Amino acid sequence: MSVKKRLQDVFEQTGSLRRAIVSILLAMVIGALIVYLQGDNPLVAYTALFRSAFGSRASVFQTLANSTPLIVTGIAAAITFRTGVVNLGVEGQLYMGGLAAALVGVYLEGVPSFLHVFLALLAGCVVSFIWAAPFQWLRVQFGANELVTTTLSNYVAILLTTYLVAYPFMKPGAPLAMTKNVLPSAYLPRLVSQGRLNLGFIIGAVLCVFVWYVINRSSLGFEFRMIGANKRFSHYVGIRVKRMQVLAMGLSGAAAGLAGAIEVLGTQHRFIQNISPGYGWVGVLVALMASNNPIAVLPVGILFGALKTGGLGMEAATNVPSELSDVLQAIIILFFAANVVFPSLRKESVLKKKHAEIAHPEEV
Amino acid sequence: MQDSYAIELLNITKNFPGVLANDDVTLQVKKGQIHALVGENGAGKTTLMNILYGLIHPDSGQIRVDGRDVSIRSPRDAIGSGLGMVHQHFMLVPSYTTTQNIFLGNEINRLMIVDQKQAEREVQEISEKYNLLVNPKAVVRDLPVGVQQRVEILKVLQRGANTIVLDEPTAVLTPQECDELFVIVRSLVADGKTVIIITHKLSEVKAISDCVTVLRRGKVIGTVLTKDVSKEELASMMVGSNLPSTGERKKLDPGEFILKTKDLVVRDKFNTDVVRGVSLSVHQGEIVTIAGVEGNGQMEFVEAVTGLRKVFAGRAFVCDQDITNLSPDKVRQCGLAHVPGDRIATGTNVKASIADNLIAGRHRQLPFSTRGWINSKEKQKFSQDLVDRYKIKTPSLDVRAKTLSGGNLQKVVAAREMSFDTPLLVVVQPTRGLDIASTGFIHEILLEMRNCNKAILLVSTELDEVFELSDRILVMYEGEIVGEFTPENVTREELGLYMAGVKRQSRAESES
Amino acid sequence: MLEFLLKITTYRAALRIMTPILLAALGGAFSHYAGILNIALEGQMLLSAFIAVAASYYFGSALWGVVAGVACGIVVGLLFGLFVITFKADEFIVGTAINILAVGGTTFLMRAWFNVKASFSDPGIVPLPEISLPFISNSSFLGQLINGQSSLVYLSWLLVIALYVLFYHTPFGFHLRATGEHPEAFESAGGNVALIRYIASISCGAMCGLAGTHLALGYLTQFVLNMTAGRGFISLSATIFGNGNPLIVALASFLFALAESFSIRFQSIGIPPYFVLMIPYIFTIIVLVIISARRHTNELME
Repeated sequence: MSVKKRLQDVFEQTGSLRRAIVSILLAMVIGALIVYLQGDNPLVAYTALFRSAFGSRASVFQTLANSTPLIVTGIAAAITFRTGVVNLGVEGQLYMGGLAAALVGVYLEGVPSFLHVFLALLAGCVVSFIWAAPFQWLRVQFGANELVTTTLSNYVAILLTTYLVAYPFMKPGAPLAMTKNVLPSAYLPRLVSQGRLNLGFIIGAVLCVFVWYVINRSSLGFEFRMIGANKRFSHYVGIRVKRMQVLAMGLSGAAAGLAGAIEVLGTQHRFIQNISPGYGWVGVLVALMASNNPIAVLPVGILFGALKTGGLGMEAATNVPSELSDVLQAIIILFFAANVVFPSLRKESVLKKKHAEIAHPEEV
Repeated sequence: MQDSYAIELLNITKNFPGVLANDDVTLQVKKGQIHALVGENGAGKTTLMNILYGLIHPDSGQIRVDGRDVSIRSPRDAIGSGLGMVHQHFMLVPSYTTTQNIFLGNEINRLMIVDQKQAEREVQEISEKYNLLVNPKAVVRDLPVGVQQRVEILKVLQRGANTIVLDEPTAVLTPQECDELFVIVRSLVADGKTVIIITHKLSEVKAISDCVTVLRRGKVIGTVLTKDVSKEELASMMVGSNLPSTGERKKLDPGEFILKTKDLVVRDKFNTDVVRGVSLSVHQGEIVTIAGVEGNGQMEFVEAVTGLRKVFAGRAFVCDQDITNLSPDKVRQCGLAHVPGDRIATGTNVKASIADNLIAGRHRQLPFSTRGWINSKEKQKFSQDLVDRYKIKTPSLDVRAKTLSGGNLQKVVAAREMSFDTPLLVVVQPTRGLDIASTGFIHEILLEMRNCNKAILLVSTELDEVFELSDRILVMYEGEIVGEFTPENVTREELGLYMAGVKRQSRAESES
Repeated sequence: MLEFLLKITTYRAALRIMTPILLAALGGAFSHYAGILNIALEGQMLLSAFIAVAASYYFGSALWGVVAGVACGIVVGLLFGLFVITFKADEFIVGTAINILAVGGTTFLMRAWFNVKASFSDPGIVPLPEISLPFISNSSFLGQLINGQSSLVYLSWLLVIALYVLFYHTPFGFHLRATGEHPEAFESAGGNVALIRYIASISCGAMCGLAGTHLALGYLTQFVLNMTAGRGFISLSATIFGNGNPLIVALASFLFALAESFSIRFQSIGIPPYFVLMIPYIFTIIVLVIISARRHTNELME
């Protein structure tokens, strides 16, 4: 094998990682430009960002804590995308699950802690499963594009949960719409003495590994992967495509609900309006950048969590608003998706590809 | 005719990753001639023509039109140089009318508003001039294939093409429509045009061309005058080695019927009947072939019988069980396996590994799956066994199916489906696009299965294949069975007449 | 209780509410016909809204607001085209990224430029002028319905007609629709598919720019965090509903706007605001299901 061929092989295997690194670097360059145009010093800003994200043990714990919801929503999105289903309702499903968990946490009394936490988390999963699955059912039955319906469902879910927490389940005398505090028996135990890092992170990490196993080693995962890659083929070999897609959407919703439940039981200890500053949407980006690979969701989630932590710290130390990290996230994804490492800038004919496929199956 | 060349492709080389599609190819086409370009699939013919038409850029080489060097970087350049191409898969916008398609990209307009009436008038004129009659107002999607081809040819003529390339023009035509096409081609040449035909059908080459160039594995093997060469010589130039012999057909008495349909009616999405009351049966130990030009309902019939399409009326039975409107998994359980016509979109998942493709369909059963988890040792064992038995060329079981050649991909589908060992096998166009060696291999397997008492329903448009494999031949025309024959008691020409709907048997005849 | 159904003001409000939805949906029609799935109508609208407000404030003129808003839309459309057409990234990923970029970016800029966090409103922002149609009297039925609306409202109606002609009666329209329906056919005929798609993306961006400008300067005269609130997706639904046909898209936009107008009226009769706000979204979902059901052929059995 020539040196060139060997290099090509190595390139292909580390392809995704290389793309990620290049995307991050390019995004940071653009971010630096934005900061500079703002009249601030990019170096100072970035230093503050890194220090705040990784600078000390406490920072690292904070980063992990902030990554937790992103990891779980990332898994939620990855489950459906892998099956070829588009779930953009993760945000709303998170709200539904979070409220369900909060209600179990507040009103179920006299139960040992382990059971209480388990039931609350389960409630979050089940409620969101039931909320999400019908939207895919609408797609398989009626052809209603689930991308649009799940996106719209976010607004419905958020408004519904806000209503519930503003009226029936409202904590008396509170300044904002929120439930009463969750009973201590339902708290997800903290992993550190200072800070918010809790068992939720472990749950998230374990979930990544578990979902990876299911997708790659189980019959169910086999079907999901086949459907995601080629629906016609799956139907033709006897896979029950519609049923599996609805199941995938439901499981995705369940994971999103779990994210909400973890946020409630581990961090906030109650359900409050606007509980999620867009975790569901960032989860979608996490899944995309992880190429829908559950194991990769973990590091990507941590990366995005670091950006968030860093952003907040950067704002505290400098004048730069923390939303810069949101902007960076989006730019990273844009470059990642564009495969900027080896862009094919030659104008490629649409026809040529089609012809190549038809006339030269050997070359496809 | 002068001896000057209309088109010259000189020393064209084109590399794709892993394949040298054109290797220093030189093709010179004399003005006013009909020049055939032949070769098996993968020989490089379409790549060469795509280069001529500007869809692909060669790595090296030169194109000359009328003796002048030209640079063709896009179809627009090609059209500007007087080239026109009629692709194998038509380049027509389905919802546009004939006129709108002919003038696409070239619309007649005044002050930016399109003048439909003027365009329609011009289409009428040009259609009469070349005797290619079409309805200027008809929507292309509703037109039969033969008429669509005429629209394609008119499109090319309207742009003032002097050299016309036809890519596998007869793939979708009946024998009679082929003859009509040849008449058109000859009249175009009489009008001063030059025609290049890409084909793999040697009888056509002999029938229509003046001169023929043979490609094999990206190289030009030779250019000869058609009158100086025989079909056999052309075939051996194309293949380069002895044609493999095919299997033997044992004499069998057909056993019980495995597949039976009764008055099956299938509708398409516009609610027209595409299968109109088809009743047939396939018995153990026989190969029944549905012959017919593509688009006469065969695909829909097969899809209805394999659970991939709804049945509107009538019933279908496999092994005595009513499978009408059951889903594919249930139909398969009743004893059916299916090698579909489209190996890339339906028959395989090209993004999955070869092993995954081979166990698909049994991934929930023992021994591949224990309590929901896939047993990878069993998976590897089973897949390796199939790869060995069917001689599938691949570096490993875990590479994506995408990397396989057409022939090997078809073997994967065949291997998987035949390994189910079902009493009934439905096979559609199994050797389309395959080289001669793979074709022989597939034919051998089908005959072997028939000899082992399996029931096989074959759908094919290749008459050679039909005659070689069938115990019984059914001709389908416009959704109905119009004739039933055995290979011994019918000729190709007669079969062609039935396929074109010119002749049909009465009920009594076909049941004899 | 339901008297509002008979009041002209309800329908007048619907016409006003309809405009941003319609403009973005018309932009979506360009993408739709070019064969690109553009889910970033939401983000494009939001970014343009902010830029329009900023420009109106800085230059003290609504015209500059419009110019800036449209320019912003064009730039984002160009960006979208660059990533999807030239870099061949997945249009869905790029769309989602732009939506997130829009939310984060507008918040970032709002804090950086104006030092506010949730909304920016200032007497220095110049709103779009209202227009009184000269030939319709203010007190007639028609006059009460359509007179005195903000300028872009009328522009949007003109655009419906203009785009109808453009899509179905000009060469560009034929090229555009061919690009979406059968790009290979267009290319084979000598057309430039990428160029058409770029033009479509830019046009879509411009239309979303108008939509965002109207939202911020014709509606409220302020920029509020995330003020598009899902309208971009309602526009997408309208585009799908109409299959790109400007007349039907306009009809769909009107229906959705009517739902929102009703929901506002419902609030005044005591139904909790949250339920009421849900109505447009639920209505859109139901409509989408209904129209999809009519087109859907359930061929595959299970």
